[in-house]
Amino acid sequence: MGDSSNDNENPLDIDGSNFNSEMYLECLLKCATLRQVMDKEAEVVTQSQFLQSEMQTLVYENYNKFISATETVRKMRSDFQIMQEEMNKLSENINNITTFSAKISDNLKESGNNVNRLCSTRQLLDKLQFVFLLPTQLNKAIQENRYVDAVQDYTHAQRVLQKYGNQPSFQSIQSECLEIICDLKKTLRERLLTPDTSASELAESVGLLRQLQETDSSLQDIFLTSAENRLDQHLKNLSSIVDSADILEWVEKCNNTLLADLGIIISCYHDLFEDKEMVNLPEFADKIMTQVFQLFEENVKRPENIGTEILIRGLDKFFRKLQAMSEIISSEPISNKALDVVIQSIKHKATLQYETIQSQFKENLMRVRQSLASKGTESADLKDILNSLQIHLMQKIQASLLDLMAFLQNKLSFGLKSWCGKAVADACWTVISETLINLSEMVKTMASLQTSNNISFELLLILAKLCLEMHENGVTTLHNHLIKLMEESAPGFAIDKRDTNSVMVHLSTAAQTALDSEVVFIGQTAAQMLRVSVLARDWLRAPEPRGPRAVCRRVVETLASADSAASQLFPTSVKPSSDSSRRTIWSRAPSSFSPINRIFSERIEVFSPAGADRAALSNGALKVALKALVECVRLRTFSRHGLQQLQVDVHFLQQRLSCMGNDERLLNALLEDALASAQIRCIDPQLMEASIVDIICERG
Amino acid sequence: MEEGNSIIYGLEHQTRALSPQYGESDAIRFLIGTQSLKPNTNQVHVVELEEDTGALHTKVFKHDIGEIWHLRCSPHDAATLMTTHNAYDPDTCQCTMGVSIFKLPTTEVIPKDLDDLSAIQGRNAEDMELLKTITPEKPEEEIRCAEWHPTDSNRIGIVLDNYVSIRDVNTGSQVTSVAPEGRARLKFTGGKWSPQGHCQFAVLQDTHIKCFDTRTDCVKSSWHIDNAHRQLARDIDFNPNRQFHLASAGDDAALNIWDYRNSKEPIFSRTDHSHWVWTVRYNTYHEQLLLTGSSDARALLTAAASICDLDDEGKRLSQVLEDGVLQSYEQHEDSVYCAEWSAEPWTFASLSYDARLVLSRVPRHFKYKILL
Repeated sequence: MGDSSNDNENPLDIDGSNFNSEMYLECLLKCATLRQVMDKEAEVVTQSQFLQSEMQTLVYENYNKFISATETVRKMRSDFQIMQEEMNKLSENINNITTFSAKISDNLKESGNNVNRLCSTRQLLDKLQFVFLLPTQLNKAIQENRYVDAVQDYTHAQRVLQKYGNQPSFQSIQSECLEIICDLKKTLRERLLTPDTSASELAESVGLLRQLQETDSSLQDIFLTSAENRLDQHLKNLSSIVDSADILEWVEKCNNTLLADLGIIISCYHDLFEDKEMVNLPEFADKIMTQVFQLFEENVKRPENIGTEILIRGLDKFFRKLQAMSEIISSEPISNKALDVVIQSIKHKATLQYETIQSQFKENLMRVRQSLASKGTESADLKDILNSLQIHLMQKIQASLLDLMAFLQNKLSFGLKSWCGKAVADACWTVISETLINLSEMVKTMASLQTSNNISFELLLILAKLCLEMHENGVTTLHNHLIKLMEESAPGFAIDKRDTNSVMVHLSTAAQTALDSEVVFIGQTAAQMLRVSVLARDWLRAPEPRGPRAVCRRVVETLASADSAASQLFPTSVKPSSDSSRRTIWSRAPSSFSPINRIFSERIEVFSPAGADRAALSNGALKVALKALVECVRLRTFSRHGLQQLQVDVHFLQQRLSCMGNDERLLNALLEDALASAQIRCIDPQLMEASIVDIICERG
Repeated sequence: MEEGNSIIYGLEHQTRALSPQYGESDAIRFLIGTQSLKPNTNQVHVVELEEDTGALHTKVFKHDIGEIWHLRCSPHDAATLMTTHNAYDPDTCQCTMGVSIFKLPTTEVIPKDLDDLSAIQGRNAEDMELLKTITPEKPEEEIRCAEWHPTDSNRIGIVLDNYVSIRDVNTGSQVTSVAPEGRARLKFTGGKWSPQGHCQFAVLQDTHIKCFDTRTDCVKSSWHIDNAHRQLARDIDFNPNRQFHLASAGDDAALNIWDYRNSKEPIFSRTDHSHWVWTVRYNTYHEQLLLTGSSDARALLTAAASICDLDDEGKRLSQVLEDGVLQSYEQHEDSVYCAEWSAEPWTFASLSYDARLVLSRVPRHFKYKILL
């Protein structure tokens, strides 16, 4: 287009439509040389000639065409006339056809109506036949167990039957059908009640029954009873393997059979009955689940399930399934019960733990007793025994706490729940407190049996110290350990502070009992020796003393061995211990027996609570032994030599025992009392010179 | 004697023999025997508390036959008493023990006129009439105690080291003897007639209690409580009202009450003393009250109400007192070897080795609780 516009604008283009010959010429004349103009002229002439000839050719050609067209038109005109005639004939024929066809349709109308009537009669007859055949059809279907078809057929026919049921011919059919359907219902119900129908069959039967317009409540009852039958079967199976399968196996089986079926039953129930109020279901489910839980608990208690790992895995599986179930059932008691099962298992585990710890501790103790018995008093390293007992006990407790923490693993379905955390914390504390309380009780029983059952005093000392150690450090350590473990296993779980006091009270009373028992045991042993020696001797005919009697040495030895044993475990504190008993007996000059002296001194409590301290323990034993000496001396009568013998004995005891205990006044008072009593009971009360007594004691 | 205040009476010599005077139900009268090895120094003191005035009256009698280890007034005659005594014979260098029966010239202690009063204030020891002295078969045998037969005034039971000798008072001859078979090495520490059996004599042998029927051959015990105490058993007393019940005390500092038909476990047990318990006594009228004396220098009044409030079918009647120590009497400063109820139901005496007699009363509020 640009070109053409150029062409248009260019008046100099010889082929363009705007060609301006004058301008062209002017331009040519202006720009070109003569020669060029000459050439141009020649060129234009040739071109004009060529164009002229070409135009002539074209004109000829067009002319020829025009002539042939004229001829064709002439031909066509003649042909059209023929066509017109034929068209007229056609329209005539068409008119004839129309009239004929109208005639024919008039004729056919009657017969068509007849056919229609026949057709509808035929349909009705078909239906009637269906109705008449219905009983047999139903029977057949029922015989072939095609209950679904039977019910479908019946529901189809039912409307007709209801509509025409009052006509006599239908009445018989209807009653027959009703009978059959009654039978069907009965069979269906029976099928429901037979235990070996599967859960889906069950659902199907119930669906059919519902289509047959059974009332819901009775159906529900039937459904539930039959379901219960089935579940009972499962329960029986499960309970039969409770004693033989391990927990994983059992839970697997339970999940796959009973709980799966229960799930199907419950969802079917929902589908079928759309029971919004859920009247029966929770009760039913509870009934079943209670039994399941019972079985589960039985299974958990089997000895094979002692391993924590296996228990936890089984529990986890079970709990998962239960949670899923409880969503279906949406029953509060069951989900609560599921939690309860876990909590119970944790508790059960804890019980096992502390029972194990206790029995192990008892075994250890038995070994200690044997080793003490075999070694004799000399070489036993009590501290060592105490340490091993204590460490063993602490380790066992800590190990069992750690074991219980396994219940808090993340991967478990109940792992990080706060209730689970609480249960584990509770269980752990139970392990700690029960173990320690058991320990206390055991120590108390052992301590109170001391005479009949020969528990050595070393063991009593060890146990007392153990209780004290646990009281002072153990409880707190374990408590802190528990808090730490809980923080690690269940971060963010707020753990309650535990009441450590009651445990501590148990431990401290046990320690006190053991110490008292030890003191009395040692004291009585020495007292017995002194008593027998004083009562059996004829003090009236005693020879002149040559040295302390052998029994004094034995008494000293007994007290010393207890003292050294106590020193291993109960080192004397730097400051003088405050003995729980009151101070010294009335000390007085042996020569004067005047009640006046007693007024100014305090009473001695002989059997009094012993302090947890070497000196206090020794004081306690000394009191028991020497008070017995005083009392026995008062039952005898002494000659002069007898009195002097006793003087030597008392002096010897004073020398040897003064290093024990820390209350020399107590020792002296008791010994002086013994000597004073002997003087009173002497027919010729003359004491020896103190220096001579010294020499005799040295020599002896 | 006001509430909580006890009356103290001191003697010159050591004492370990005390007896209430029986037969005179209205008088609070106790007899004390002294224990001194010095010849001709021993005495029997008769102490009477005049209830109206609260005054204490005493009479002293000579007991030159030896030191008194044990003293019992006769339940049949208020003026008759029996002592177990010991004397040293310098010639043989030996102690001899014996049992003597005396008769007091009068049971009256409270002076009637000024002469009486001055005589008593002079504390001149009077003489008693010696009725009979019984000695053991072998002179060196030790006698623990001698007990009057509860109903037969001619019978006494003497407990020796390892047998019990039943004697006739008038002739002094042995009627029968009780010696258990075997275990002869375990010595007797004491004994008592059973008030119900009349012929049954219970002895303390080491830690055991054994009762023998004196009518039989006396070899096998008719009942026994083995290991009644963990240490030596020191004393027993029978429940005066309730058959089969008895209280025992011992060196384990315990007071136990037993139904001897079932001797495995005591039906009541308390350890309130802090040393050996030497004596235990039921209150004659109120069986829930028990008195104990111990070498911790205390006398304790203990209630054992829980086992006494049961009626015959074992049903519990209303319990008026809490079990346990009602009151501790701390006026003694040496071992209390004797404690006795008086014939009057609410007064008792305790006697310590340092010759101190303490007369005390059951606190009034306990008394009212029991009575009302």
